[in-house]
Amino acid sequence: MSDHKRIDIIEGKAGHPALCILPEIEKEDELFEAIWTLREDGTLAWDAIIETCLIDKCEETLKDLSKSGWIEVKGQAVELLPKGEKRAKELVRRHRLSLRMFYDLFALDGAEAEACKFEHILSPEVTDSVCTLLGHPPNSPDGKPIPRGECCAMFRQEMKPLVAPLADLTPGEQAKIVFITPGSHSRLDRLSAMGVVPGSVVKLHQKRPSYVIQLGETMIAVDKDITKEIFVKKL
Amino acid sequence: MHDHRSDQGERYLDSNLHKVILIGNPNVGKSALFGLLTGKYVTVSNYPGTTVEVTYGNAVLNKVRTLVIDTPGVNSLVPMSEDEKVTRDILLTDRAGVVVQVADTKNLRRGLMITLQLAEMEVPFILDLNMDDEAKSRGILIDQDVLSQLLGIEVVKTVAIRKSGIDKLLKGIQHPRPSPARVRYDDAIEAGVRDIAALLPEAFMSRRALALMVLSGDESLKGWLHANLQDHVVADIEKTRQTTQAKFNNSLGYLINQRRMKKADEILAQVLSLHEAGKGSALAFYIGKWSMHPVYGLPILLAVLYLVYQFVGVLGAGTAVNFLEKTVFGGYLNPWATKIVNFVFPFKFIQELLIGDYGLITMALTYAIAIVLPIVGFFFIAFSLLEDSGYLPRLAVMVNKVFKIMGLNGKAVLPMILGLGCDTMATLTTRILETKKERILVTLLLALGVPCSAQLGVILGMVAGLSGLATFIWLGTLLAMMLLVGYLAAKIIPGEPSDFVLELPPIRVPQLSNILIKTLARVQWYLKEAVPLFILGTFLLFVGHKVGALAYIQKITDPIVVNFLGLPSRAAEAFVIGFLRRDYGAAGLFMLSKEGLLDPVQIVVSLTVMTLFIPCIANFFMMVKERGMRTALYMAAFIFPFAFGVGGLLNYILRTMKVTLL
Repeated sequence: MSDHKRIDIIEGKAGHPALCILPEIEKEDELFEAIWTLREDGTLAWDAIIETCLIDKCEETLKDLSKSGWIEVKGQAVELLPKGEKRAKELVRRHRLSLRMFYDLFALDGAEAEACKFEHILSPEVTDSVCTLLGHPPNSPDGKPIPRGECCAMFRQEMKPLVAPLADLTPGEQAKIVFITPGSHSRLDRLSAMGVVPGSVVKLHQKRPSYVIQLGETMIAVDKDITKEIFVKKL
Repeated sequence: MHDHRSDQGERYLDSNLHKVILIGNPNVGKSALFGLLTGKYVTVSNYPGTTVEVTYGNAVLNKVRTLVIDTPGVNSLVPMSEDEKVTRDILLTDRAGVVVQVADTKNLRRGLMITLQLAEMEVPFILDLNMDDEAKSRGILIDQDVLSQLLGIEVVKTVAIRKSGIDKLLKGIQHPRPSPARVRYDDAIEAGVRDIAALLPEAFMSRRALALMVLSGDESLKGWLHANLQDHVVADIEKTRQTTQAKFNNSLGYLINQRRMKKADEILAQVLSLHEAGKGSALAFYIGKWSMHPVYGLPILLAVLYLVYQFVGVLGAGTAVNFLEKTVFGGYLNPWATKIVNFVFPFKFIQELLIGDYGLITMALTYAIAIVLPIVGFFFIAFSLLEDSGYLPRLAVMVNKVFKIMGLNGKAVLPMILGLGCDTMATLTTRILETKKERILVTLLLALGVPCSAQLGVILGMVAGLSGLATFIWLGTLLAMMLLVGYLAAKIIPGEPSDFVLELPPIRVPQLSNILIKTLARVQWYLKEAVPLFILGTFLLFVGHKVGALAYIQKITDPIVVNFLGLPSRAAEAFVIGFLRRDYGAAGLFMLSKEGLLDPVQIVVSLTVMTLFIPCIANFFMMVKERGMRTALYMAAFIFPFAFGVGGLLNYILRTMKVTLL
């Protein structure tokens, strides 16, 4: 992702001039991140924030945040208010997930720098997709916990990836076909003529002695191999 | 199964008669509707693929003489098997008639796949939502007016087996229209369609539809293209197809179907409403479920077999045969016939021809009417019940794994089970199988090891007097040989096995009227088909007996029949007529055993040999027709020596081990 594009997005959101390298909103993000991390370490205090802060006009920005109800400041004590808590959590989640992605998936040096860019631009849906793609990792590469998202809660409930082969369903379960990886063209042509296409709702009836699936009011007996190629999302 | 299909179809097609063509997914009731319109019975059963050939029938509809055409069911008009090709070819080569698309109301989504293709073809048609009662009982309601608007054609509702809605259907037939419904495909596919359509010749369907078939990779269209276009144009078309396909990872056929399905779903969303389902179908649902359950499935199968055995073997082959043979023929008909013949024809030759040991009345008719007829009659009833219940396809689910050993899949169980009715017709239904390899394998196994109803009944009657062990040895040998031959043949015959994809119809309560009509149609067929051959066989035996050829055959076959198989000399007669029809041969063995000329081991050995024979002359002709003379001759050259070989081996083993079998 180019810098230019990134700034466009930020401009669209907050209306800052395109030439600004670290716009106001990103300065705030840095502060939220610092607060979250210090709290994790158990050393959250006004002075500690100023000390670790990498941005200029740090104190000013902190005061702004306090004024607009993100944080509460009482002397040295700094606390995240509910809407600040939410923003910090999402931000740290994006940062650490991005870190995880660059580290695990792309095996990239300088993952930290890239992650710093990414954390500002990931949308909630993309964040959850990245999280799911990575298998809802509990920690970032440096061992710090990744705050949980909604997708992780669903994951804990089901303890299974969202998209799985039809063959892995338990008999009686219903699912929606997401995609099909065809073993052969003719196989796919035949199945699609019977209504087995992405988007169709399918129910697995039984696995032995043969696999039997149901689409609408149609029951079809199929080979196990075929059900391994149909990927579904449980309903 | 045993239909009188007209061979004059080609001639009909050229005539200027009004035509109504029934088209639709498998098992939606096209044949039931055909029967209703024409008054002509064609086999109606509850499983896909009952109709494998086009059937023609005359009817007067709306006061106009009309030719009604019943076609094999299709899921797509891009054919995947021989029976599906037949249906597409009707639309491709026939001057337009009225197409009636028959759809299963509860499965309208799949029906719409065909509707959209018919719309693309620009043929005038109407849509018949059949089995409306089943849809209602499942809480599925289709708004036919909205559907009619969306598709721009007449839509009617019927329940063919109850004869309901036919008047509306007849009214609808008078107003067929091409449907303006269109599916828009991916831009690259649309471009391919345009390029190919520009090269295609005039046809009875739109060029767009043809181009889409070509793009879907329809191999069966090649012949037609070559017949209508110059070679270089066909090459250009194929090139366009390939370049279009190269733009996608998935097959074009799949992408096209996917778009059609999407459109079908859009239409469905506007016409379908769901209500609470009635409870009527719950029991049927569970019966269907248990019949293919990994644990309960087997006991159910055994129970079904036992009931069929009780009904056919005990009631039919025992009680009914005894009554007909001893009382009707032995007590009345044969003595009367003897008196009358002796009185009318004072010549010894004619007397012997009609009422002697090889008499046309005392042997041919007695065998055909007194022994085989009651047995096949009872079998046909039992078989029709099984067919209409929807149990047979579920059997395929049970046996899929075993069939894989023989290079086949569960789907092949359908022609095999039909073989228990009649191997000749079953050979015809191998068309539902997708690959040539499978068709050859099933044809071979049918000819080799599947006893047809007539023979099965006689066999059941013979083994009924023996121990269970005897039945077990006969059946075990048969199954083992089929498995062995199937396994080896699958290795030798080139080609790939196909996927197991089989639609399971719902379990239904068989309709008594359909059972009766079907049984009668089959009995009628049996009498027409079998009795002449019985008479011919008897006549050959009579002549053979007169000129001494029979004694001579017995003498030269003695080393095989007596020494190798350990059977009495006269069993050779049964084998000779067994070449004509093996049920007739089996009936000969039946008589021998009744006369006490066969001990239990001999019964088992002779039955095994006879069962492994090619079923009958008609079956052989069907093999030639479907598989070609060369393949059929190869099969025959293998089967007969193999049958005797297995019999000899069985005899040797049973004698050496001193098995008694009583």
